[in-house]
Order: sequence, then C-alpha cells, then structure tokens
Amino acid sequence: MGVFENKFHDNVVIASLDKLLGWARSTSPWFFQFGLACCAIEMMATAASRHDLMRIGMIPRSSPRQADVMIVAGTVTLKMALRVKKLYEQMANPKYVISMGSCATSGGPYWQHGYHVLKGVDLVVPVDVYIPGCPPRPESLIEGLLKLQEKIQSERPLTRKTA
Amino acid sequence: MTDNQEMLIQEAVEKALQGDMEAVNNIEDRVTRSKAKAALVKAKREAAKTSAEPSSEEKSEESAAESKPVPLSLNQKIAGIIASQFPGTVDEESSSETHIQLQPAKWFDIAQYLRDDPACLFDSLQCVTGVDLGEESELEVRYNLHSMTHRHAIEIRIECARNNPKVPSVETVWHIGDWFERETYDMFGIEFEGHRDLRRILLPDDWEGWPLRKDYEVQETYHGIVVPKVKEGWE
Repeated sequence: MGVFENKFHDNVVIASLDKLLGWARSTSPWFFQFGLACCAIEMMATAASRHDLMRIGMIPRSSPRQADVMIVAGTVTLKMALRVKKLYEQMANPKYVISMGSCATSGGPYWQHGYHVLKGVDLVVPVDVYIPGCPPRPESLIEGLLKLQEKIQSERPLTRKTA
Repeated sequence: MTDNQEMLIQEAVEKALQGDMEAVNNIEDRVTRSKAKAALVKAKREAAKTSAEPSSEEKSEESAAESKPVPLSLNQKIAGIIASQFPGTVDEESSSETHIQLQPAKWFDIAQYLRDDPACLFDSLQCVTGVDLGEESELEVRYNLHSMTHRHAIEIRIECARNNPKVPSVETVWHIGDWFERETYDMFGIEFEGHRDLRRILLPDDWEGWPLRKDYEVQETYHGIVVPKVKEGWE
C-alpha cells in the first residue's frame, strides 16, 4: 500500500472506503423471503442445512424493509405482478432482483398460452441476475447469488461518476 | 381435407393393408400421415370384425339377454324420484344412466330435497364444474353429489343461456358450494342467484372476460402490463 506500508500495527487493514463498503455489502445481502411456485422449494433447499445460504452471508428476511435482494422464485401471475412491484418499491435502496427459473425469466411453460402469466418479471421490476432452469438446482442458485455478489463488490458508491 | 389428400390417404391405406407399411410412412406431410395411420387402424378393425362374425348360437344368446329388463342406474332412479316430487323439472330426453339433466327453475328446492330425503341423503357436494359446450350452444353447470350414508353418487347437469347464464345457488344447502360456485363464476361467468358473496376467487377483481369460455379473448393489457396473445400459425 505504498506510503502506508508498515505504518500501522499488524491487526489494522487499510483499504479505500469504496472497496470496504463493497466488501461489506456484498458479503451480507439479506434476501427477501417469498416463494411463488416450485422454484421456492429449491430456494428453501438452498437455504437449508445441506447448501446453507448463511455461509455466504444470506439471511432470509420476512419484510421488504430489511431485505437487499429479492429472489423472484416461481411463476409470476398478472395478479401477483402488481404485488411484486409494490414489494420491490417497499425495499430500501440499494436493492437487487434475482429472477430464478424459466417462469420468472420469460413465463416458462406458460410463455404463450398462459393468459394470466406475466412473461418475465423484468416487465415490472429491473432484474440483476437471471438464473435458468426449471427449477434451477441449489448449485445454480448459489452460482447466481455469487454473480450478484461480484456485481455488488464491483460497485463504487462513493466514487464520483465522470461523464 | 382436399380431395387430393383423401386420394393419397386411400391409396396408402390400401397398400398398407397389403403389407406395405412404407406407403404410409413415406407421406411427407405430418398431418396427412397421421390421418392415414388413423384410417389404417379403422380399416384393420373393420376387417377383424367381419372375419370374426358371431355364430348363430351366440346371436340367440345375445337376444335373450337383451329381452331381460335392464336394471335402472342410480341416476335414473333419482331422476324418477325428482320427477315425481317436482314435476316438469327433469329433462327426460337428455338424461341418461350417467347423469340427470335438470331445468334451473327449482334447483334450490331440489337440492334441499336431495340432501334431506332419507332415500337420497346426498350430504356432500363433491364438485361443481362449468362446461362450455361450444360457441353455438349453451353453458352448463355440473354437480357431483355423494351420499356418505348410502355410499352412492349422482351427477346433475343444468344448462343455462350463454348471453344471460343464471342458475340458482346451492351455497346455503352445501356450504362447500360457496367456493365452487365462485370458481365457476370466475371462469365461466355463470351467475349463481342467491349466492351471498359472488366474487371472483382466483383472478383479480378487475379482470375482463371469462377465461374458460370458448369465445374468450385475452385482454390486451392489465394495469399497463402487456398480455401477449397467442401467435397465429403456431403449431
């Protein structure tokens, strides 16, 4: 670290505030606990002891106010779409959305003839990571979450953006 | 089906009956090929029937069996009971051994009778279904009733007009009918007169149209969200 080298004790870490914030935020993205269809079963399996989401810092929260990440797990009907949007709006910034499975991504098996199915949750909320699968295995979900963590870590909230 | 296509199918079936299956399998158009296969199965079945013509002895036995009175099915028995208690409500022509066709007018009274009469005792309404019989004809409601005491079950069908579908509600007779009727209302738009809380049950309250009707057209947008329609020419 250049000029700061060997100026502090061993138990002191030096980093830019941006990076530190990114590290802190990326390693504790609490997710909003709600499932819409069979993908929710895989999400539950991922959160349970075998795959243990807690080890990558993900804790399920039951309130949108306390959550950073919304995992849209399952088929979004048009009736639910309005509620998903409302829940997203209730989350505090910065917030992220993961579209889990075919249904949430594109309507899945209902992409054409499902008269009441939303053809992709990105029609109502901005999506950060799409996870394919029907339903995706826990490994896929974890991969998607790690991708999201990479994204959060690469953000620099304190750096002034130059045009 | 065009004449050309019919000729093709006929030729292929004849060849196949003589043992040349390739003639059918080589038809390029998928629809024509499946039609040819169906025709082949039919032709084979007919051939089997003519070859296994029953002998004269068997025929006489059959006719003897026919002359015996056929026992009435439960649906027919119950139809008789309803017809005697409520004259003019049972549509005898359309009723059969599998169901009872009723006029909607006195349905509520009939339902109460069916539940309480010691010979019927239909204490559980197992299912209420709506049926769209096609764009030219009417809508129909079907009720499946079951009796725990007698362990017997019947089916009741009630037709109603497509432009003004109204059927008396039996929600107060069997309480499970509450949600069953709401669902039928939700999907077919059949109004159950006398239902105390007739709202949509699955779809949102502001949904347009009745999705399980044959003439249903998907609405274009829902609260600003585009609802894609079925693409034409998709197979």
